[in-house]
Amino acid sequence: MSLDGISADLTHRDRNRKPISGILSSRFPLDLNGLMSDCFASMINRLLLLLASVSVFGILNNGHSGEITLYSHRHYESDDVLYTKFHEKTGIKVNVVKAGADELIERLKAEGENTEADIFMTADAARLHLAKLAGLLEKVDSAILDERIPANLRDADGHWFGFTMRARILAYAKNRVKPSELSSYEALTGEAWETRVLARSSSNIYNQSLLASVIAAHGREKATEWAKGIRGNMARPPQGSDRDQMRAVAKGLGDVAIVNTYYVGLLANSEDKADREVAEAIGIFFPNQKGRGTHVNVSGGGLIKHSNNKEDATKFLEFLASDEAQKSFPQTTYEYPVVEGIEWSDLMKSWGEFKSDELNLTKLGELNIEAVEVFNEAGWE
Amino acid sequence: MKRVGSRVPVQLLVISTIQKQWRREISGWSIFTVLLGLAIILPIAIVLSGLFQEGPKWDHLASTTLSSYFTNTLILIFNVSVISIAFAILPAWLVSTCDFPGRRFFEWGLIMPLAIPTYVAAFVYFQVPDAAIPLLISIRSQFGVEAFILAEKELRYGVLSCTMAGVLFPYLYISARASFSQQRQAMIEASFMLGKSSRATFFKVALPLSRPAIVAGLSLILMEVINDYGAVNFFGVPTLTEGIFRTWFGLQDRSSAVRLAGIVVLAVFVILALERAQRGRARFSQSSQMSAPISRRKLKGLKRVMSVLVCLIPLAIGLLLPVSQLITWSAMTYREVLNPDFFVQLGRSLGLSLGAAVIITAVATLFAYAAKLHPAGWLRFLNRFSTLGYASPGAVIAIGVMVLFGAIDRLFGSAVVSGTMLAIGFAYLVRFLTVAYQPIDAGLSQVCGRMDESSRVLGKSPLETLVRINIPLIKGTFIASAILVFVDILKELPLTLILRPANFDTLATTAFGLAKEGRIQECAVPSLIIVMAGASGLAILYRLSSFTEKR
Repeated sequence: MSLDGISADLTHRDRNRKPISGILSSRFPLDLNGLMSDCFASMINRLLLLLASVSVFGILNNGHSGEITLYSHRHYESDDVLYTKFHEKTGIKVNVVKAGADELIERLKAEGENTEADIFMTADAARLHLAKLAGLLEKVDSAILDERIPANLRDADGHWFGFTMRARILAYAKNRVKPSELSSYEALTGEAWETRVLARSSSNIYNQSLLASVIAAHGREKATEWAKGIRGNMARPPQGSDRDQMRAVAKGLGDVAIVNTYYVGLLANSEDKADREVAEAIGIFFPNQKGRGTHVNVSGGGLIKHSNNKEDATKFLEFLASDEAQKSFPQTTYEYPVVEGIEWSDLMKSWGEFKSDELNLTKLGELNIEAVEVFNEAGWE
Repeated sequence: MKRVGSRVPVQLLVISTIQKQWRREISGWSIFTVLLGLAIILPIAIVLSGLFQEGPKWDHLASTTLSSYFTNTLILIFNVSVISIAFAILPAWLVSTCDFPGRRFFEWGLIMPLAIPTYVAAFVYFQVPDAAIPLLISIRSQFGVEAFILAEKELRYGVLSCTMAGVLFPYLYISARASFSQQRQAMIEASFMLGKSSRATFFKVALPLSRPAIVAGLSLILMEVINDYGAVNFFGVPTLTEGIFRTWFGLQDRSSAVRLAGIVVLAVFVILALERAQRGRARFSQSSQMSAPISRRKLKGLKRVMSVLVCLIPLAIGLLLPVSQLITWSAMTYREVLNPDFFVQLGRSLGLSLGAAVIITAVATLFAYAAKLHPAGWLRFLNRFSTLGYASPGAVIAIGVMVLFGAIDRLFGSAVVSGTMLAIGFAYLVRFLTVAYQPIDAGLSQVCGRMDESSRVLGKSPLETLVRINIPLIKGTFIASAILVFVDILKELPLTLILRPANFDTLATTAFGLAKEGRIQECAVPSLIIVMAGASGLAILYRLSSFTEKR
């Protein structure tokens, strides 16, 4: 391959000259032994654990209390603070593997009954439903969870629970659009919005869930028309993140963007002045207030069927529904709490109260494949 | 007559005893290679096992998005190839045959963009279409929506192609420069004496001689382009690889996704076959290395200026601009990001990359030596298959490895290997073996076979012969290969992300997490350190390679 040349050179040169030895050690003054032993420690630990568990007939396997492992799609640093709080309160340490929800589902399937995971967390309801369908989750019997979390934001069989809510809203250019011109997701397909709408790729789960909610409300045929209508009115082909849609609104490429609420909060509190200016330039509109309400999704989690520590894992789920955890979400990630009566952050208060679509979120999972098909058929990339 | 006649059988006897002895030991080596080769193929085979099942959504795909996946993939392959050739070939020719201001700087500087992960470059360069919005708006108001749509698309595809070519062209540059600087003075001089201009010499003599090297460099670039996921998704250019994930996870149709993956692998296989066909001829034409190297011509006037520009543009796009942006962002945020945890991650990234690079290179050496000992056709074929890992998207390999290790765990009845460093290390081996294997194979094949024979006649085992004779002779190649693998692992994201143990972060996963949260400015610090560590590795690579000798 391309390196043949180099290797040929090197080989040739090595014959004539003593090759430079110890370059790596002089350039990277690293304690390699220390590092590698650090790296392999987990494996060795586990091998030891295996030996121990074999020798004491699996006692260790059943009762390694005091630690739980999360497979989580959530990447927020503020979650780590919550885990520390939980540890301080209960003495249960929280270990985390952060990766994409789809890949984590594959990992859980592959690991099967030997998985280390106790809890699976995602940033959307559809993939919690998928995990349930794949038989990865187990029913949690918890009066606390059932009482505190509204029924439409959790699985009917208790396989998963939503802990924070995000609304998919319209972010409009304050200087060009009057809120009175906006009404619903459906209205954005009208002629008045030609070349003015911005939205990200249909690979994104939040768009898939939004479309699933449209399918649930109007049926597949109408939903296909809707997706075609939105795509037809787009200012440019879908690209970038939700934040990039708002940046394009602020710059005047389009006038209204379909985005999640918390991204507005993240922009408004960014390190970058340009981002804060974007947040200044846009207004927030909650669509479909006169109809079914604004589409909402949850970030939630469930108990892994093959968890070795279901008791502690359930405690952790209950902790996420506690006042303490619920209060922290609006302040750190600008997500809405699911528990009634928890105070919002000032920014969220400024957006105002809204009516949310009460569709049972299980539907988002059930209709997800159909949503992707409709996107493909509508040509929404 | 008699004496001669009696001598021959003795020699034959010696040779045949050696051969018998070899055959016995060779079988050990080939068994090793076969087992290892199979282990490496297994994760990909697991994923591809559904290739012949008709997926339920295949018709849906065929009637909707499939053709755009193909078109986008082909457009990107074409664009990135053309731009990479423009960025790499002429600079490689200039630094190896001409003398102009900054030549030494460009000679090593042009390798450095390799240290920048494609996804980091994509974040930086997505600002270009963003900054061009006012221009696009004026096009829309002046020339209408049609013109706007065209301009927007051209701009986006153009920037994406330049971004990818900007960080990938060094693969081509390295191979082209090595090839140019190996060419014999005599050939070039003959061309000049026959009245050819320097341009004609370049096109008629130097370029054809370097064709195999160019194809080899390009094939690496194309594999990277084909299996990229992050950058194409961000720029809204869905390729076949994005189609794989969308079909698998979005449509929940694994069979159709596997079929798409099969198409990708097949495409890469064709590319590799073409490259090998090219190389077969190249071996023939490579002449004695003892000839005088090309003496560099001093450039004057406009040519001097042009040469500097030709080298500066790719360097600016691939390295200077992204790095200066990363530095600006890092200056805003380094105080928050640089905490003790961060240094633990730095240590882990370096340790993991270095350790895995050395192990992978060692395995590649054993692999290549087995092929040298036992040059049977089927063994070579197996070796070829084991290079498939580099051509497959990281997440596909990850899923294969997870399924394989999950099955191993089931044998033990406990999580012994899943989610350990062993899983990550093995996945790296599957993915990057070929990066080390190719140069080491080439290096070993240049070690004269007679040395091996002498060692064996003197009673040394194959392993001893490898360790005592071959490895010292290819020490430089060994280190160079390890460095390339090191840089690749340092940048690697999808495998590490999904296979890692709990609470395990590397620089790349941290950078990705921050970017995912939209904290691009904070993501710059780990990204910058990845680039710096990668660049240090590449600097060693440069020092090792012999073109610096011609001072």
